[in-house]
Amino acid sequence: MTSLTSQPAGRSKARRASAQEGGAVRSGMTLAAYLFLSPYLALFIAFMLLPTLAAVGISFMRWDILGTPEFIGLDNYRQIFADPLFLTAIKNTFYFVFLTAIPMVVLGLALAMLLDQKLKGTAFVRTVVFLPYVVMVSTVGILWGWLFDKGTGLVNYYLTAIGIEPIAWLKDPHWSMPALAITTVWWTVNTNMIIFLAALQDISEELHDAATLDGAGPWQRFVYITLPLLRPAMALVTALTIINGWRVFGQAYVMTQGGPEASTFVIVQYIYLTAFQNFEMGPAAAAGVVLLLITLVFSLAQMKLMKAI
Amino acid sequence: MQDQRSNRAGKSFSGRALAYVLMAVVTALWGAPILWMLVTSIKPESEIYAYPPAWIPDAPTLDAYGALFQRFPMLTWFRNSAVVGILTTVLTLAVDALAAYPLARMQFPGRRVIMGVIFATFLLPYELLFVPLFLGLNSYGLVDSIFSLTVPASANAFGVFLLTQFFQAVPRELEDAAIMDGCSRFGFFWRILLPLTKPGLATVAIFTFVASWNNFFWPLIATNSDETRTLPVGLATLVGGAGMSMKQSVLMASAVVATLPTAIFFLALQRHFVRGIAATGIKG
Repeated sequence: MTSLTSQPAGRSKARRASAQEGGAVRSGMTLAAYLFLSPYLALFIAFMLLPTLAAVGISFMRWDILGTPEFIGLDNYRQIFADPLFLTAIKNTFYFVFLTAIPMVVLGLALAMLLDQKLKGTAFVRTVVFLPYVVMVSTVGILWGWLFDKGTGLVNYYLTAIGIEPIAWLKDPHWSMPALAITTVWWTVNTNMIIFLAALQDISEELHDAATLDGAGPWQRFVYITLPLLRPAMALVTALTIINGWRVFGQAYVMTQGGPEASTFVIVQYIYLTAFQNFEMGPAAAAGVVLLLITLVFSLAQMKLMKAI
Repeated sequence: MQDQRSNRAGKSFSGRALAYVLMAVVTALWGAPILWMLVTSIKPESEIYAYPPAWIPDAPTLDAYGALFQRFPMLTWFRNSAVVGILTTVLTLAVDALAAYPLARMQFPGRRVIMGVIFATFLLPYELLFVPLFLGLNSYGLVDSIFSLTVPASANAFGVFLLTQFFQAVPRELEDAAIMDGCSRFGFFWRILLPLTKPGLATVAIFTFVASWNNFFWPLIATNSDETRTLPVGLATLVGGAGMSMKQSVLMASAVVATLPTAIFFLALQRHFVRGIAATGIKG
């Protein structure tokens, strides 16, 4: 086995030798590895892998809770794409992603840069911004549902104080989605902030000092040093923000129940309604597959884009 | 030279002042909703809708908390959430640590494929799984049980991913020496590897618990009685429909009760949260 450390040229010879001499050791290792893996793999196969495959399968079947499943090809997909409510859900979810993606990334970075400075109090402010992370979605919905109330909510009170007419946030189809987006940014921007903070702390100070000596101003240092080095973090944050955006549900369910006039009715709520209130499993599974495809396309497009920049 | 230095000092002073103004604004925007929730929960009915809004109640009272626990099975929901959270955390920690050991430290056929498949599920919108999971559990009569709320959640890949990274950082020589001394693989795993990677285990435990505590969509589907309903699902029934007439103080009290355990958890173990997110970027 020690011969494995030899030159690359000798590797195949070494491998052959170890296959003969160390075959028993290696198969022992393989057995041990799979023994350690087996409990997790059993759960993973039962509750992750098989359900994923089953979801795709069910999307091609007529499957009510009672009665025998029957293969019907693409009928479920035809049905949901002919359903105006599903098209509305796709449009609304896209609008939500559009409204949240840029603030979540830009604000996440801005907060990280603000709180990365060596100033007293940054640790406290970080804690305050991070606190919403541990608040559950029902509570977020209950709290912001009131903050956005037209008559008694704090948001309108302070907007009125600076001369803006009260807005019927959650009762007005034009404002309901922006209200959900604001709530979501408040609730989850901290995750992005932390990823950016970790990345910023990896950038060596000498790099900035050297650039300063060469006469680079703060803006130039940001554009030519910070941003390029943040690229991996930027890619991760953007991908997560977009994927999670497409998966939005709890806020809309608790704050607006999809309304008013279906203005906050999103894809996951369509799945919930179809599967667990109308008990049409086939179309619900098809909607789930569409959601998977959408997030995959966005992830791939985003990766391509990041490489191109 | 003198001029330049004072100029720079002046700049950094105005820069610092600007930073502090921004920090104050951020603190207000992120802190105010939480503070408002706390303040409202201890206001008597007459003060809830006072205009202008009062940040300090005149006559603080715990009436809203009394009403909350009297009118809703809060204790049952709370207990269910705690049981589900603890069981999920223990199970996840056990299977994830066992799985992460060979993935991090052993060479065996199939390793790359297994890792690829497991970590690809990071891109999976879990909502896709809920229809087949519900149908499968339903056919075994397991819907609306603690089983359906704990075991499926343990298949999450987050812990395996994080622990693999932690386990890889432990020096190879340590393992070779232990095996030399007659230690079995499991002996090394249990007596040396796990004690050395306690911070990683703590991070996984905390994230799993908080994710379970806050999990909403799956328990909404998989429970249909107060016997198994968890806090997030129970609280969602307070608003909308019948709950519309609920007093804001009671709603805010429910928010405080639901947030308290995870908030305490978080304030005590903040660095673990930060490490977990920074390492994986995965929420929950």
